[in-house]
Amino acid sequence: MQTDWEGFYLDGRTAARQRARVRLMQSGIEVSTEGGLTFLWPYDQVRQTQGFYAGEQVRLEKGGEIAEALLISDAAFLTALHEVAPERRTRFHDPARRRTRVELTLLAALAVIGIALAIYQWGIPILAAFVAPRVPIAWEERLGSSVIEQLAPPKKRCEDQELRAAVDDVLKTLTAPLPSRPFTLRVIVVNDSLVNAMAVPGGHIVVFRGLLKRARTPEEFAGVLAHEVQHVLQRHVMRALLQHASTGLLVVALTGDVSGAMAYGLEAARTLGTLQYSRVAEEEADREGMRMLRAARVDPEGMITFMEGLRRKEGDPAGFLRYLSTHPTTADRIERLRSLAGAPGRPSIKLLPDSDWTALRERC
Amino acid sequence: MAETCPKCGYADVPGDECPRCRVIVSKYRAHLQSLGTGGVATLVAAPAPSAPPSQWRPSPAGGAPGGIRRLSFHGSGGSLFGIHIVNVLLTLITLGIYYFWGKVRVRSYLLSQSEFEGDRFSYHGTGKELLIGWLKAMLVFGIPVGLLVNLPEFLDAAFEVKVAAGVLAYCIVTVFVPVAMVGARRYRLSRTAWRGIRFSFRGRVWDFVKLFVGGTLLSLVTLGLYSPFFATKRQGFMVSHSYFGNQKFDFDGRGRDLFSPYLVAILLTLPTLGLCWIWFAARKRRYFWDHTSVSAARFHSTVTGGALLGLYVVNLLLLIVTLGLAWPWVKCRNVRFAFRYLTLEGPLDMAGIQQEAQVAVAATGEGLASFLDMDFDLG
Repeated sequence: MQTDWEGFYLDGRTAARQRARVRLMQSGIEVSTEGGLTFLWPYDQVRQTQGFYAGEQVRLEKGGEIAEALLISDAAFLTALHEVAPERRTRFHDPARRRTRVELTLLAALAVIGIALAIYQWGIPILAAFVAPRVPIAWEERLGSSVIEQLAPPKKRCEDQELRAAVDDVLKTLTAPLPSRPFTLRVIVVNDSLVNAMAVPGGHIVVFRGLLKRARTPEEFAGVLAHEVQHVLQRHVMRALLQHASTGLLVVALTGDVSGAMAYGLEAARTLGTLQYSRVAEEEADREGMRMLRAARVDPEGMITFMEGLRRKEGDPAGFLRYLSTHPTTADRIERLRSLAGAPGRPSIKLLPDSDWTALRERC
Repeated sequence: MAETCPKCGYADVPGDECPRCRVIVSKYRAHLQSLGTGGVATLVAAPAPSAPPSQWRPSPAGGAPGGIRRLSFHGSGGSLFGIHIVNVLLTLITLGIYYFWGKVRVRSYLLSQSEFEGDRFSYHGTGKELLIGWLKAMLVFGIPVGLLVNLPEFLDAAFEVKVAAGVLAYCIVTVFVPVAMVGARRYRLSRTAWRGIRFSFRGRVWDFVKLFVGGTLLSLVTLGLYSPFFATKRQGFMVSHSYFGNQKFDFDGRGRDLFSPYLVAILLTLPTLGLCWIWFAARKRRYFWDHTSVSAARFHSTVTGGALLGLYVVNLLLLIVTLGLAWPWVKCRNVRFAFRYLTLEGPLDMAGIQQEAQVAVAATGEGLASFLDMDFDLG
């Protein structure tokens, strides 16, 4: 076995390196420098700071903060070191174990994937579902006020008295069977052609004129409203905020230090991640909304026919694209709603029996 | 006769197969010879050199004097990814505490894979230092600013109180940015070494705070026209207070040399949709390096806007396609890119470079920098 090696010695005082002959002894490493000095480094006082990867020179240091160093280019030196001083095995890296290290790294990668998926699939949703209902409603209302300013500025609101009364009447019918309401629910109709409605933090529901016109009966409108009311009652907005924040933390934990351009890649990952949560929330709002309609004895067919109308007009994203959407596909939603609606049980009540809905919805 | 394994160096190979690394010795030898290297095999298999230590070949003292020197990078994205994934696992298991030790491993790897004149750089920071630095920064900066920003909102304070708190928080952040920049640089340089000689930074924080706050205000007042002067001043401060051992770095750039490229970049912003700023960034990088010297040697950069654009576009695509997982490869690409266009020209007297380490540096500035979301790369 080879015991003598060539290397370089750094004295820690100047940047000049001296050639050195390194000999592995039982008691330590004997170094003879170009300058004619010979000294012994006991194994206990030597630490390895480089040479853990192929092609990287082996670096041994001795001393305190500012150390002397030995540099040996041949990794086989480490193998010989392990032969001479087997009892110091843990002090020095063994190149023969690099393959094991790769295997362990692969295992670590699998473990990371497993843990990350578990956190994403269960950890974050459970945490958010637990925390969201415990966030004081006053905070959420404060959060919502600025959103309302943007989404529904007072100038764009429909203030027609009759429409107001009708909308409030539908809302009252829907929420009547509820035992208690922590939120003061309020519906705002906005003069905008968007076919959309949304739940804003703090119990406000914004309905755009475009959607109102798409609802052919008060029952269809009640279906949409039930869905949005459930978003509010289930604290979906707060949950989404918490999920967004924790997904961000997870992404950062997975990718380490990021700055500049890297942040864009990460934002894409995060957005994709939260879309899944959004679809789950939509499903829940559909399910609970349907239950709400039945409890209030409103014809559940309205919610379904509204969706069908939407599907005829808008269509559904095909194939893979459905995973890039905040909502489940309309076809899936209709199917699920149908099974939830079940057989007609008690006769349903007629909403707004004394008004002409077709004329009413035009009053915005 | 037992022989030495040509691959792993195991001494007593009984037959043709090494019991340790399982290599077939004869096949491995043939493979090495066919490659024409034979380097490892001959070195290891050769009998132990018996020449007395007095027979030295003349060693090149400090490399080629007056030559053109380059940095080279030997790291691979794969190895860095391996380090990273283990870091992530341990960080998740320890609820974040391992993060600081992981950071040290990444920095250590990047520096150990950077080579100059045949020797690698080394990193001497520790996870414990980084953790303590972060905790201190949390105490003096993170918690006060966090409270200042959130508490008035929380307590639903009067509008005036909210505004005052916001302004105060903004001022604190503005002052802490330069403090963090200096602190992080001081810590990092003090923990970086080459051939056992530490780098150091000896600028005073207060001087940089004055320079920074003044420059920020002037840039605002002049609607940004002052910013090339400001950037040059910042660079000058950072470079000219940096040392390698007892050798001082010098910077002789002047802001006015960057002023006309800056004006051109402003004028071309609309027609080029902002792309001209990449060319300006390359120009600035070249200018800064070309005006940086250490003892009698001067740096020289040949980076171009096109090359920089190529780097950015590929990096961005890699990150987006892999949802950020490719960052170890991106990191290695960045270092390799920085080294490719950089040379150091002129004499370097290695024996004249004496150790003058400044190791009593806390990592508080480093911790601050992580709060302010700043990252310092080789540029």
